[in-house]
Amino acid sequence: MSDNLSELLGRKGLKDNLFDKLGKLAKPEGTPNNEAMAKLADEFLIGKANTFGTASFYDFLKPENKGKKVYVCNGTACVCAGTQEKVINSLKSKFDAEEIGHMTCLGRCHENSAFHYDGKNYSGDAISNLNSIIDSDSNLNQDTYNIKASGKQILTAPFSNITDYYQPFLEALQKDSADVLEEIKTSNVRGRGGAGFPMGLKLQFCRNVENETKFIICNADEGDPGAYSDRYLLEHQPHSVLFGMLISGYVTHAKYGILYIRAEYPEAVKIVQDAIDELKTNNLIGENINSSDFSFDFKIIQAQGSYICGEETALINSIEGQRPEVRVRPPFPAQKGLFNKPTTVNNVETLAALHYIISNGGEAWKAIGTERSSGTKLVSLDSFFNNPGMYEVEMGTPLSYVINELGGGFKSDVKAVQIGGPLGGLVPVSKIEDLTVDFESFSKNGFLLGHASVVSVPSDYPIMKFIEHLFDFAAYESCGKCFPCRLGTKRGQELAEKALTSDYKIDKKLFTDLLTTLEQGSLCAHGGGIPLPVRNALQYFDDELRQYFN
Amino acid sequence: MNKIAYIDNKAFEIKEGETMLSFIRRYKEKNLVPTLCDAPNLDPFGSCRVCSVEVALEANGSVKTMASCHTPVTEGQYIYTSTEAVKALRKNIVELVLTDHPLDCLTCEVNGNCELQTVAAQVGIRDVRYPEGDNHLYRMKDLSHPYMTSDLSKCINCYRCVRACDEVQGEFILSMSGRGFDSKIIKGLDDSFMDSDCVSCGACSQACPTSAISDVFQSKAIQATDTTRTICTYCGVGCNLEVSTSNGEILSIQAPYDAEVNQGHTCLKGRYAFKFYDHPERLNSPMIKRNGEFEKVTWDEVYDYIANKLTGFKEEFGPDSMAGISSSRCTNEENYLMQKFYRAVINTNNIDGCARVCHSPTALGMQRTYGTGAATNSIDDLKDTNCIMVIGANPTDAHPVTGAKLKQFAMKSDNVSIVLDPRRTELARYATHHIALRPGTNVAVLNMMMYYIVSEGLVDETFIENRTEGFEDFKKELLSIDLDHIEQISGVTRDEVRAAAMAYATAPNAMSFHGLGVTEHSQGTFTVMQIADLALMTGNIGRRGVGVNPLRGQNNVQGSADMGVQPHQGAGYLDVTNDEVNKKYNEFYGVEVPKHIGYKIPEMFDAALEGKLKSIWIIGEDVVQTDPNTQKVIKALEATDLVIVQELFMTETAKYADVILPGASFLEKSGTFTNGERRVQAVRQVVEPIPGTKPDGQIIVDIMNRMGYNQPDYTPDGMLEEISQIVPFFAGIKWERLGINGLQWPVAADGTDTKILHTTEFKRGKGKFEFNAWEETVELTEHAKDYPYILTTNRELEHYNCGAMTRRTANEQILQDDYLMIHPNDAKTHLINDGEYVCLESPRGKVDVKARITDEVKQGILSTTFHFPEIMINNITGDVHDSEAMCPEYKVVAVRIRKSKGKYKKELV
Repeated sequence: MSDNLSELLGRKGLKDNLFDKLGKLAKPEGTPNNEAMAKLADEFLIGKANTFGTASFYDFLKPENKGKKVYVCNGTACVCAGTQEKVINSLKSKFDAEEIGHMTCLGRCHENSAFHYDGKNYSGDAISNLNSIIDSDSNLNQDTYNIKASGKQILTAPFSNITDYYQPFLEALQKDSADVLEEIKTSNVRGRGGAGFPMGLKLQFCRNVENETKFIICNADEGDPGAYSDRYLLEHQPHSVLFGMLISGYVTHAKYGILYIRAEYPEAVKIVQDAIDELKTNNLIGENINSSDFSFDFKIIQAQGSYICGEETALINSIEGQRPEVRVRPPFPAQKGLFNKPTTVNNVETLAALHYIISNGGEAWKAIGTERSSGTKLVSLDSFFNNPGMYEVEMGTPLSYVINELGGGFKSDVKAVQIGGPLGGLVPVSKIEDLTVDFESFSKNGFLLGHASVVSVPSDYPIMKFIEHLFDFAAYESCGKCFPCRLGTKRGQELAEKALTSDYKIDKKLFTDLLTTLEQGSLCAHGGGIPLPVRNALQYFDDELRQYFN
Repeated sequence: MNKIAYIDNKAFEIKEGETMLSFIRRYKEKNLVPTLCDAPNLDPFGSCRVCSVEVALEANGSVKTMASCHTPVTEGQYIYTSTEAVKALRKNIVELVLTDHPLDCLTCEVNGNCELQTVAAQVGIRDVRYPEGDNHLYRMKDLSHPYMTSDLSKCINCYRCVRACDEVQGEFILSMSGRGFDSKIIKGLDDSFMDSDCVSCGACSQACPTSAISDVFQSKAIQATDTTRTICTYCGVGCNLEVSTSNGEILSIQAPYDAEVNQGHTCLKGRYAFKFYDHPERLNSPMIKRNGEFEKVTWDEVYDYIANKLTGFKEEFGPDSMAGISSSRCTNEENYLMQKFYRAVINTNNIDGCARVCHSPTALGMQRTYGTGAATNSIDDLKDTNCIMVIGANPTDAHPVTGAKLKQFAMKSDNVSIVLDPRRTELARYATHHIALRPGTNVAVLNMMMYYIVSEGLVDETFIENRTEGFEDFKKELLSIDLDHIEQISGVTRDEVRAAAMAYATAPNAMSFHGLGVTEHSQGTFTVMQIADLALMTGNIGRRGVGVNPLRGQNNVQGSADMGVQPHQGAGYLDVTNDEVNKKYNEFYGVEVPKHIGYKIPEMFDAALEGKLKSIWIIGEDVVQTDPNTQKVIKALEATDLVIVQELFMTETAKYADVILPGASFLEKSGTFTNGERRVQAVRQVVEPIPGTKPDGQIIVDIMNRMGYNQPDYTPDGMLEEISQIVPFFAGIKWERLGINGLQWPVAADGTDTKILHTTEFKRGKGKFEFNAWEETVELTEHAKDYPYILTTNRELEHYNCGAMTRRTANEQILQDDYLMIHPNDAKTHLINDGEYVCLESPRGKVDVKARITDEVKQGILSTTFHFPEIMINNITGDVHDSEAMCPEYKVVAVRIRKSKGKYKKELV
């Protein structure tokens, strides 16, 4: 993070955005060329090393991406499902090996076999129709999955129409923004991105900082393999997200809303942009909305392939066009965020909750769920379930109900589920009965609710291999800023690989030292989080793992 | 009630906003908590995590691990620095670092001075338990650059180099590429140091905790047996340098972090361009020219020769047949001695210095308006200003450390920066307002700025009322200027000028900085007065964060004038025509001093051409290469019977000498330099003068004695004692009081120094407004018709003035010659391609210079340097001088151009 770069990159505002420009420059060949990067560096006054340094960070900008035409999903669900070797083999009939790249989680975890070609995602049986995918502007990228609410239907409620839907927003504009914020605080809605921080407080921090320029950022970089609830909301309920951002802007006095949407969700970008255009047509955004003093506008920034950008300070750096390395806190984004201006970053699902809260009052939301975890939560189930899909449940719902009733149980033998992404806990099936879907239950039992994505680990999948996969993912996606994560995730992966592929036995003390170092020493939750599932594995699968250790 | 927190259960007072690490380090030994990514001059970054501590809310309560370097300490916290858990954490992190670091300490250049080595030892690593895995030990060294080196196999990814390049130098040459385990430091687009845009400041090398980035002098190695703190010779910033030596040989230079002037930073000249000092071409014996050939002679012989000659001239032609040019590269003490020699021994006021050709209008102009011809504030005031106005200066090249600070300021969006310069300088690129006026129209444009400040009602009426005089008359004339005409001649619009004027006038605190683009004009002094007037009318004077701050060129140009190297003012700026003053001088020097004003440098040359000058003694100034109108200077030297040149090298001027005196470089003598913010700093001898040479001050003392004036041997403390008795503002300056950061004059007898001038009243009483209308320079009214282009002159980062020193260092490999900046359209008109020679012709002559096509200059404007004797650009510069101070107008030369046939390029003749 560089204060100077934030200042310089902020000079041109959002219209002329370096990160956007790098993305466009990379389109033709997969990576921007050096002359273009030198020119951009000159234009933004930031030095060539910075444009190059930024581009080289991202999967879809870096020089190694040159010439890549098709990308195969290597997210946890696809890996555990074991479908991807077949996908790669099929693709090889049409593409050279060097034209095939990877994307980490296309959010098609409900049917796997996912790949990306020419700005569209495919999954399920699509690979068998490769010819028509390549030859025509096909719509084989459509997928369907179960969408269901078990209790109160809020996030999955059918969209009415734009006029009715935004009526509560126009009414809020008539109220004192402090009162609107009070409702949000009353609801006690907590961040759905994983950390569970009360949203009202976060908005209040930003509101309290005096500055003419403030930003609301929607973190739509749903990088957790296995999670596709944000994808669901962006593609099926875009207005719920935009509504939440408008309200957030109103209560914090921010005028700009930025949706940072991952490159792996190309369809979502288009759908959200259409929704923004619709708002514009209906005069629901722009200057002095509905003759209030409130002005607001949106911009979508398309990410370029990096899991760490889901971390809010990395995300801010990414939007600026800096390398998405994690910033130290304080200063918190509310004090000094995007372009060094006060900024609030919220997850898609958190923002989507605001429509209900504003329409029905904070108390109504608070009444749903548990004492400390209010409201409803989306849970995404992968292809090992009999009914894979998106389920909205009230907080506090027994996990076993979600898995056995809503999900219909597993299709084949599963020994554990990883809930909450790669940094989430590894829950052995024996522990499912003990858990309810809320922050407290998970944390009390040594797990993490996170984003509540459920990825199944089949019984025949070796846990050591799973550990190796987790470390590999963590190392690949580490920003590299802090020493423990940059080095520790790599060494963890090497230890696991060596133990798997040779008679090498891992020193147990070294391994726990490594986990503790990552946990206590890492700058952010990426390096700090990876030990949780590994420790769960060591605890619950000792029988299976003992052979690899001294 | 003071707030407290606890370190290992003991209570200590905390400072608001400080980090845990700085809190701990204020009370405990520095390495109680080890760090790798933290550095004294960089913002907290939090990458290594080695500084982790445990923190509890109550004594021995449940703890959380936090990185102390970036976590603020809050009241009542219990910080545990050395629990078993944090000790283990630190050890485990360093162990991970060592899995990707070569363990070749014994042969590493930083062996014994490597922060990783120290921290590893401190945390007690005994083995690396991880099996061998992927690593980056294969990375190749980058030895492409004459100074900078890198060996990224040694890199620990602490980003200190990247941050130094950004936060200190503001250059953005370095960044990281890739991510995670494979992330790697890059220069530019992953280029070599030499191919990158690196400005070789060495900040990265000094910041690097290992030898991953270093320099060819291996400045972090510990071979040195001694280090000496001294002051840089290369510009008026006055950087402190720490010079490492072994057996009397200089090994390398670093910048001390505790230096108030440069805080651990310096530029490639200060840090790396020292190898001239023992260059084989150093003059190493006195010489007398006989039959057109220089013959080496003894010091005795040369002293006798000079004493006899000068005594003879004095008797036959009188004292005014002799003149001296002292050197702004020499110490205060030496300059004092030189002017004393001419005044007290020869009895003439014919003493002048290179300030004449650079900042004489500053001294004069500021004296006229304020009473004191020196910077009103300090560079450190940048921390408290809201607006900077930089006029006619390119500090990122000419004053790199101050330039870097100004650039840092300009990059922040809440700050306002205004640049008035015909060229789009580096600072102009980052500035809020860049007024690219035509050379020679400063007075017109500044009048326009003041017009808007007055007409928009933005003047500080209280300040004008209480502290100034002459405003009403000034205002009347100011408001009658012709805005249309000014737009037309300056090439800038009234809207841009108005916006800049409003920005300056409405800023709570505004500071101005100016350079030779202000002074080296026919109306140079008037321009300085305008800058001073701008500060007066907006009340931007007399407190922190404001003022008028000339960027002095040579290291001691302030000091040479302070010491009396001026024909009209003696030591301490006292008027030589004033009887009271002279009484004081007479008593002090023990002889009668002359009462009439002496020759300024241009007048010396005129006198020589008229046959009136019999002798001239020039110390450390290459007038042939750097003064305007070279051929005239040469003729003047040829017309002078005895030309004494005291120099380090056989410069273009030295070639015309009759007697050569081999002086000593700044590294070989002691004394003081006064930087551009009136800071008198101790120059400490690092090595003995090379055999055959003497400190310049001692040479002057020897000749004084030889001519019958009793002057004790040159010692810095002895000299300062003498100076403090005659220069009022040096009253309290004593050698032993200077300490590590010097003192800013005026210094009271008790040693109290002065950071800000004119806080309650001006030296002259009230600040004086004086209106001056713009006038076109004679150079253009006479010649523009036949010579339609305007050539202006500038400086390059790599070279210093005539280049005698820098061209004898590896800087020469970085920038090898002078070149001409020319706008693409002009180049096209004359069918000139990049790198081709352009023939520049002025009414004085012709030279050929290589073209660099760039839109940094506007159409019709050309710019070049005079660092290289191969080009001798001053063959074409002219005789127009500032109307008041006689500073030559280097900045406006009427020329015509064509593609060169190579005829006037010296080496091709």
